[in-house]
Amino acid sequence: MTSETGFDPNLYDRFPTSGPRPENELEELERIWRPPSGWGRLGIINNNYIGIWYIGTAFLFFLLAGILALVMRVQLALPLQGVLSEHQYAEFFTMHGTVMMFLFAVPMMEALGVLLLPQMLAARDLPFPRLSAYAFWAYFAGGLSFFASIFVGLAPTGGWFMYPPLTSSVYSPGINADFWLLGIGFIEISAIAGAIEIIVGVLRTRAPGMTLDRMPIFAWGMLVFAGMVVIAFPAVILCTLLLELERALNWPFFDPTRGGDPLLWQHLFWFFGHPEVYIIFLPAAALVSSMIPALARTRLVGHNLVVIAFLATAFISFGVWAHHMFATGMPLLSIGFFSAASMAVSVPAGIQVFAWIATFAAGTPKFNVPTLFVLGGLVTFVIGGLTGVMVAMVPFDWQAHDTYFIVAHLHYVLIGGSVFPLFAAFYYWTPMTSARPLSERLGKWVFWLMFAGMQVAFMPMHLSGLMGMPRRVFTYLPGRELTATNLISTVGAYLLAAGVALFLFDLARSFRFRMEGNAGNVYGGGTLEWLPTGSYSSRSIPLVRGRQPLWQDPALADDVRDGRYFLPRSATGFRETIITSPLRAEPEYLEIMPGPSGWPFSAAIFTALFFMLMTVQAYGVALVCGAIAIGCVLRWLWDTDRPVAPEEVDAGGGIMLPTYVTGPRSHGWWAVVILLVVIGMIFLMTVFSLVYLFGIHPRFWAPVPPLGWLAPILIFNAGGAMLVLTARRLLCRGTTLWTPPTLMLLGTPMLALALALDFWSWRSAGFDPQLTAQAAVVHAFMAQQAMLCAVSLLMAFYIAARASRGMLTAPRSNSFDIATIFIVYTAAQGCAAALIVRALPTAM
Amino acid sequence: MRSWGLFLGGLLVWAAQFLLLYAIGSILLTSLPARLLAGLITIVAIGADVWLILAARARLRTGRDRLDRWMAALALTIAALSLVAVTWQGLPALLA
Amino acid sequence: MSRLISTLWAPDGLFAGWPPAVLDPAGPYAGSIAVLTWVLFAIALLVLAVVGTALWIALWGKQRTRQRLGGSRLIWIAGIAFPVVVLTLLLVYGLRLTSSLSAGTGPRTDLRIRVTGEMWWWRVAYLDAEGRVVSWDANELHIPVGRTVELELESADVIHSFWVPRLSGKTDMIPGRRNLIKIQADAPGVYAGQCAEYCGGPHALMGFVVIAQPPADFARFMRAASHPAAPPPSPGRQLFETAGCAACHRIAGTPANGMEGPDLTLLGRRRTLGAGILPNNHGTLMGWIGDSQAIKPGNRMPPFSMLSSAELDALATYLEQRK
Repeated sequence: MTSETGFDPNLYDRFPTSGPRPENELEELERIWRPPSGWGRLGIINNNYIGIWYIGTAFLFFLLAGILALVMRVQLALPLQGVLSEHQYAEFFTMHGTVMMFLFAVPMMEALGVLLLPQMLAARDLPFPRLSAYAFWAYFAGGLSFFASIFVGLAPTGGWFMYPPLTSSVYSPGINADFWLLGIGFIEISAIAGAIEIIVGVLRTRAPGMTLDRMPIFAWGMLVFAGMVVIAFPAVILCTLLLELERALNWPFFDPTRGGDPLLWQHLFWFFGHPEVYIIFLPAAALVSSMIPALARTRLVGHNLVVIAFLATAFISFGVWAHHMFATGMPLLSIGFFSAASMAVSVPAGIQVFAWIATFAAGTPKFNVPTLFVLGGLVTFVIGGLTGVMVAMVPFDWQAHDTYFIVAHLHYVLIGGSVFPLFAAFYYWTPMTSARPLSERLGKWVFWLMFAGMQVAFMPMHLSGLMGMPRRVFTYLPGRELTATNLISTVGAYLLAAGVALFLFDLARSFRFRMEGNAGNVYGGGTLEWLPTGSYSSRSIPLVRGRQPLWQDPALADDVRDGRYFLPRSATGFRETIITSPLRAEPEYLEIMPGPSGWPFSAAIFTALFFMLMTVQAYGVALVCGAIAIGCVLRWLWDTDRPVAPEEVDAGGGIMLPTYVTGPRSHGWWAVVILLVVIGMIFLMTVFSLVYLFGIHPRFWAPVPPLGWLAPILIFNAGGAMLVLTARRLLCRGTTLWTPPTLMLLGTPMLALALALDFWSWRSAGFDPQLTAQAAVVHAFMAQQAMLCAVSLLMAFYIAARASRGMLTAPRSNSFDIATIFIVYTAAQGCAAALIVRALPTAM
Repeated sequence: MRSWGLFLGGLLVWAAQFLLLYAIGSILLTSLPARLLAGLITIVAIGADVWLILAARARLRTGRDRLDRWMAALALTIAALSLVAVTWQGLPALLA
Repeated sequence: MSRLISTLWAPDGLFAGWPPAVLDPAGPYAGSIAVLTWVLFAIALLVLAVVGTALWIALWGKQRTRQRLGGSRLIWIAGIAFPVVVLTLLLVYGLRLTSSLSAGTGPRTDLRIRVTGEMWWWRVAYLDAEGRVVSWDANELHIPVGRTVELELESADVIHSFWVPRLSGKTDMIPGRRNLIKIQADAPGVYAGQCAEYCGGPHALMGFVVIAQPPADFARFMRAASHPAAPPPSPGRQLFETAGCAACHRIAGTPANGMEGPDLTLLGRRRTLGAGILPNNHGTLMGWIGDSQAIKPGNRMPPFSMLSSAELDALATYLEQRK
């Protein structure tokens, strides 16, 4: 055996430990993890509760968006119906798509991650439980108020991909489009917070011994999912930001008369939008791959190939964005490249489908409700995948694009690949959190109604499309024989809805939330979420020796419950979990976790208020709310990063683990690095926009300000970074008192100064962001830099404040490290931006 | 980092090739130099994949523990599949 | 909308949806795509059959057959090797076909028409060899049978998409860009077209027609279109030039020179009104002028409800004669 951390794997032989555990350990654990009651529930910090609320909210949005679809189907049942006006219809289809994609599918996957991952990895909670709470409440408040816009006629009408110039202020005056841009931008932030949490959770909080090859397939799926979110979502954040800037400040990114280009939006949006489909599909596929072994009572055939399929999908899906743009007149060769990638991305899907079939063949499937949903999903997804290959063929896509054929295709893929697996998962995992499982008898009705409804609703749409019916039409003309297919589709939609309604009835009848005393492992799963649990998750954290630990060691559940593994008690008197190494899951240290707190809740509410008030253009109040939100976040951070008294504790079996670790091994460091990847992706996407616009309309480009300006900009940025780095070195050398924070406070404003100089250089050269797209992009870079500088300054003051209260641990402090990384990154991006915006027009 | 590099090697090769091809297609449009350059990049990418396959096979033999060998086995399959994807990616240079 | 039901397009077989337009091509550009579509359907059914059979055996097969399927060999053969072979063939086929259908390749054509997408109608300009506009029209394209016509697609406002499923695939009309597309009809007829990219408002009611004529008829049309006769004075003409119509509409040979809305020089020839949604006759013309908002809500033409029915009648008579 080799080790990545110097941990001696032979120590694992001590488990399970023998001998009885002290009496009061369990009570102590329960006391520490007991959630508050009454109004205090808003301050619950615990993945079991947050996870269930999260799933419930996402499901609510599924129902709401589904109701919109039902109304639309009535409108389309016959030609020239007057149920909805064209404006209302536009609101409905825009909200249906947007809510399904952004408020149901992605949050639902993250919600399942929040609920299931800590259980499957046998962690006590995700590594940043307050961030989970914040992400949930932000999504809850932001999502509901976004949805409410439809009741007051303010819902966006541009379709879920909001192409400009239709969504520009010229063609979409009013604040409808702003609701979309600010609302979605805001919800993306919550999604990214969740993704960071999931990556660090999967890589660093796995139970000891759970090496990568023993990691549950769902954890693989969520890891890849979260990685994709981190790479893809910055693109949509950037394009919503650019369009909002164009609408609010008249910066012409997408206006061809001033050097912008409407297709820039499509590139940015689909660079996010196509991976988004796989972001929704992969976790659902991972759910299927986790359920089938239990349902067929055998191991997953081709486990390694499925892992490869996840990884391959994650990469290749970033090379297919332009297949939504085959009709825009792209160069032939480029079209070919995207067509090839679109073919390649279907191979991993084939791998997974046949892995599932092979597993069913190897085992002994029983036709219970989860199995039915898995099978129904498989068949439906395969049909959607095949029409997907069809539209990857460019000439066919020229016919099918933007017609009901595409509507059919995408619903087959998403319902088959995501919704049916989700329902299977609801049935499969409900016994884990409910006193009673859902009804098998009703469940079969639910399945057959939903499955039949799905086919009846969407199969005829293929034909409607080939007959010439474009998507997003609020009506169609009589005499074109479209009535029959549309009427059948409407009937199907109501069958599907009847299935969902029956599911709701069963849910109301059977679901009773329980942390302890739940119905348990009804389907006989072999992974760790089926260990006996309380609100602290499992009593002790098991040593993992295989992929299906519960099947391999029938005594495991009892040993874990009796505390014979890691951390059978709270070693420090606080909430805690074991942080392990990323590849081999060797125990590294104990993370002290924060307890219940109302601050994440209030921070989320005020952040949501900030965005909503911005949308309705109440800027003054909005800024106040924003400031309060920041205050709440700082207040919640204030409690964190506090070392506890014992520097090392017995984590079970006499294995001693430190309670405070700094540097690249700490989970905080990992999170901030991932955050910087997100920010870096936004920056790279802005660079792409710059190069792209330059390539499209070079004649709009003016000479840049004299290059002499670069010297002070670079020097101030570098100087600021040097000061901050020196501050950290001094802190490491044990310099206490005020010197390190003071240096940081001195260094950070230098970055702002560099930005001010940069800004001045462009203004004095006559660059006005309203005049040309070039100037607008330059200002977009500076706007990003301004935000980074503001956060850097905030961090510097926060560090100073902590130091003034004697809360800055020396010689090393995670808070100080994180501020340092962020500020140095800001300086680097400031230099890079200043160079790139000048280099391109100069070099050409 | 090195273990991740080999593990994901095939996919990184594909990603690099794709990005370069996209840049070429966008800048040089559909022209002969674009086709030649795309072909050249494809050959380099195929070479990189072959190298990865050999490296992964060596690692499969010399791997020090179960996880090492597991990652090498996956790296081998990934690189082999990448060979197909990379070849497909180069086809438009010949045919489109 | 109830009024809509009574006024809108009555079925006359012109726009029959069956057989599905995509599978009922009328020219080479749509034809090769229809062949591709059938090939793709066949392959999709084959793959579905393979998956279905494997799944059937996995669930209900004999124990021995099931066990033979239950290993990663199945994934390698059916999930990797089989798709790779099928997809390679498809990719080669698709790339070849794309390249042969592209507007940038193949022989150039001498007949060019510029079509500009507007909210929510189509501006049509017939061009001469130098690219100058020979004549203006709207919502209707005349093309000669058997000849390839190249279209320059542009947009005046937001993104639209030009689609005549029986003649070719669709191509977007993007502000600031000019896209090219080739179409050809091999038989005389009227082919329905439709905006395919959501463009707000009454996008659903933004249709048009392509009229393929024998070459002699087409030549006659072009002669008439490029040298329209000046209309004689009439009550309708006077009304047209004083009631506000002329601010947005042009009629060649008269002071009416508005370019905001569709050119009406050839209105009497058109098959449809309101961009492909109404048959063009005296009654519909009167109804459209009087209150087009009731027929196509949200369109840019204000209702002229202040006009009496006699005035509407005179206007309709004048416009009907514009051929």
